[in-house]
Amino acid sequence: MRLKARGTQNEGIPTASMADIAFLLIIFFMVTINFEVDKTTVGLPSTELRFEIPKKSAYISIIESGQIRVSSGEEISVPVPGPENVLSFAVDVVANNPGKAFVLKADKNVPYRYVDSVIDALKQARAEVIYLLSDQETTDGEDGAGGGGG
Amino acid sequence: MKFKRDTISDEIPTSSMADIAFLLIIYFMVTTTFAATRGLDFSLPKDEQDNTPLVDKEESVLIEIQPGGTLVVDGKPMPLEAILDYLKPKLERNPRKPVIIRPAQDAQYGYMVDVFDELRQAEDKIGLEIKNVSIPTQREIEMFWY
Repeated sequence: MRLKARGTQNEGIPTASMADIAFLLIIFFMVTINFEVDKTTVGLPSTELRFEIPKKSAYISIIESGQIRVSSGEEISVPVPGPENVLSFAVDVVANNPGKAFVLKADKNVPYRYVDSVIDALKQARAEVIYLLSDQETTDGEDGAGGGGG
Repeated sequence: MKFKRDTISDEIPTSSMADIAFLLIIYFMVTTTFAATRGLDFSLPKDEQDNTPLVDKEESVLIEIQPGGTLVVDGKPMPLEAILDYLKPKLERNPRKPVIIRPAQDAQYGYMVDVFDELRQAEDKIGLEIKNVSIPTQREIEMFWY
């Protein structure tokens, strides 16, 4: 009796679909990628309400010491000597694109006078909308302020 | 004499495709940042400066933020959670009641955001939208209030 020869097993790992999977991942990253124009590390305030910020918005960041950096949204942010320079920056940005949104990325512990001077510069430059960049507030309310009604 | 002709493969060579794709993935993984791209929007008046409506501080609700985070609403200390309840009857009488947030220059910025966030949630919490919130700058206060 002749036995049927055992089927040959392919030893190779099937990699034919590897490229398809890889390209799907690439498409995912290309869609979600967001080139960060401002890499300043700040402790953002937390809010319950948060709205999506338009891409390519101009950024103004303020760290706790009051150092200000600006970016028009097209290039990496650069430090500016003082709030008065924010006005000339904002005027340039608004002149090139009147509807451009500005994002204020300020540390939650920064004294308000720095934020005040930046908002004032944006108002004078006729900016239309400012986004106050924030983190999602957690339910424990540890970031809540104003509790001291005393 | 017979010459051996080279056979030309009629398939597109795709063996390196996965390598290229994975290199691209690594590039995107390294450069991508899932940064915070959300925040509270804060619209500024579009009118020319001369036409910007002036808010009378006597007819508005004034929320002062002191350096330690203490809130003083119309001269009375008040916790953050009580502000909307305080505003509700005033907004029922006048839906366009102006609310002014005035942080002290030395107060921390985070407290201003907390108050603004609370006011923006008025529609969800008390069923009334606060349509007129203003955060005047120090220059505006000096120009128009004194």
